[in-house]
Amino acid sequence: MELFLQSIANGLVQGGFFALFAVGLVLIFGVMGVVNFAHGELVMVGAFTIWLLHAQYGLGYIPAIAVAIVLVTVIGLVMERLLFRPTRADPLAGLICSIGILFILQVIAALIGGDGPSKQVPPPYQGTLVMFESLRIPYQRVFSLAISVAALVSLWFFLTRTRYGWALRAVALDREAAELQGINTNRISMVAIGVGTALAGLAGGLIAPLTNINPHMGHNVIVTAFIVTIVGGVGSLSGAVLAAILYAVFHTLITVYFGATIATISGLVLMVVVLIVKPTGLMGVRVSE
Amino acid sequence: MGISRRKFIQASAAGTVAASTGFSPLTFASSHDTVKIGMNIPMTGDYAPWGLPGLYGCQIVADNLNASGGVEIGGKKHKIEIVSYDHGYDIEKAVQGYKKMVSQDEADMVMMLGGATVGAVMPWGERKNVFTTTLLCSDITPDTEHLVATCESHPLYVVTGVEWLAKNHPDAKTAVIVTNNDVEYGLQAAATFQAAFEVAGIEVVDMNLHGFDVTDFAPIVSSVLAKNPDIFCMATSFYTTPLMEQLYHQGYKGKVISTTLDYHEEVIAKTSQEFVDGTIHQFPAFDDPKLTEDGINFPDPGGFDAEFRKRHPNDWSAVSWEYPAIMLNWLEGAKAAGSTDSDKVLKALQSNPNPEFVFGGGKWWGKELWGRDNVVIGRWPVVVIEGGKTRIKEFASVSDWLDKHSDVLIKYMKSHGLRTVS
Repeated sequence: MELFLQSIANGLVQGGFFALFAVGLVLIFGVMGVVNFAHGELVMVGAFTIWLLHAQYGLGYIPAIAVAIVLVTVIGLVMERLLFRPTRADPLAGLICSIGILFILQVIAALIGGDGPSKQVPPPYQGTLVMFESLRIPYQRVFSLAISVAALVSLWFFLTRTRYGWALRAVALDREAAELQGINTNRISMVAIGVGTALAGLAGGLIAPLTNINPHMGHNVIVTAFIVTIVGGVGSLSGAVLAAILYAVFHTLITVYFGATIATISGLVLMVVVLIVKPTGLMGVRVSE
Repeated sequence: MGISRRKFIQASAAGTVAASTGFSPLTFASSHDTVKIGMNIPMTGDYAPWGLPGLYGCQIVADNLNASGGVEIGGKKHKIEIVSYDHGYDIEKAVQGYKKMVSQDEADMVMMLGGATVGAVMPWGERKNVFTTTLLCSDITPDTEHLVATCESHPLYVVTGVEWLAKNHPDAKTAVIVTNNDVEYGLQAAATFQAAFEVAGIEVVDMNLHGFDVTDFAPIVSSVLAKNPDIFCMATSFYTTPLMEQLYHQGYKGKVISTTLDYHEEVIAKTSQEFVDGTIHQFPAFDDPKLTEDGINFPDPGGFDAEFRKRHPNDWSAVSWEYPAIMLNWLEGAKAAGSTDSDKVLKALQSNPNPEFVFGGGKWWGKELWGRDNVVIGRWPVVVIEGGKTRIKEFASVSDWLDKHSDVLIKYMKSHGLRTVS
């Protein structure tokens, strides 16, 4: 029972990370129609920023996270303005641009930090929350989970209680109709990619002390994000959050009871099953071509 | 939201294909009238810690040799030039780099890490008689006449660590093994540790094989710690730091044994020195006083260590001294042969039944398992982290263990489906 509870706790922490970057991916895709393949690399940039500023130059962890969020957001805004907006008419062009950005960000990270051994960031919050002998959660993970939840709740408030949030949802539902209502869709696209990439930067900042950091770490992030997005329902933010938590707990439990390799395979099988049995995912809606 | 799922999936699939095709070769130009040492190794990616530090180490040794006038081969002084290629542990790039080294750069020998990249180059290497080295003795086959493992015989030496652990901690009776699930590194090490534990009377109560895509090791560690092991064994894992971090946070109090613990300072920064102290592994720091004792075949280990850490303060790894040791071994062969010709160097080296081995006590071995005596095994250090530093506790004989227990090793190799001629 204790192992089960420990696994649930581990899964919830992972779910928080997954939700942060999956929601960002969904937001960008929903509003702009771009499958941002560089999203994993944006998480990597966030993590690399923490390594560079916090672990190498001694900047405080929280200020370093703030810089990571700003930096990744600026990269996102530049991508939108220079690449995605001019190619909006062709979704494939946006995709190819994002792949180009993916490689550029990897190379820049390798030039700055080297492409050799993975980087490590000592956890700013040492120690472990011991609930009972076999249920332990490092404070760093508790912190990360709390910030993830806070960020997602803030996003929910933003989307449901602010004019920009309403406009963003309107553009995601029907761009032309939103334009006819006087919504500046270019500005809303900037908001969407700004919010989505800020969440990626935050996710990178939170995951930095808990993982191996290298220029290629975005690959695993993007694969997970796609699984979560498809299971949750392409285009559904609440579906992405729900799927992130369920998938993380599912993956953790399979790892514990059947092994990590089976867990990886199971995640992909789950995605395929969802596509066959319920193509709209947990909370997605069918959209006519 | 208003974009179809189908478009999303189509675009995702297209992107995946496109994203998997990048590469970044790294080469250094060579000059003539020198002995050219080829290094076809991973310098980027997951395997980089087992490649790049070796290049740094070889450059230091080459600089020292060149500063003293070079190496005399066949009555003539030769300068040493390192020719390197980064294959990033990609098979196609490894083949490309290997052929370039031999055909264009005219490398006299080629050092490699081992595994699939070596398997891919050797058919061509054998046709061209290229003296090639590996750190994985399991790469040797009856057909690889020119492939030798003259320094690290991964993972045979781990038997000495288990032997030392059993001798010094007789109360430790159960173990769990966590390792990568690849055939070349992980499963070979798992089989060897299983054999060593059985011989030492230690029961393996769980084994967790994981892939290279794991980002969170908490569930893996929770799973194996539920078995209450006395010993946590990281057979060959690229992820020793996150594993150690999880052991620390999940309150593990038992012994830890690992093939290696590269960058253990980072582990200490993420956990505590008290926690890391006592960890057993097999790769010494070269400022260790025991490396000044008789029988060590490496010139000025302390000076090498100091120069390495001066030039590359944070890059020391298990292979920092291994590739230089292999290079020195080959140079000894070339000096004895009076030639850089592959067959002559190989013959010169193998004509010595007690070849110079970095830690002494070397002998040619391997026919029993892989069909060729192209592996040099000898004494290997057991090291323990004490006061935050890696310190050698003893040198033990790998060959003595194999003489007595190779049948146990073969049993476990077969249980994992690993190739052996026995």
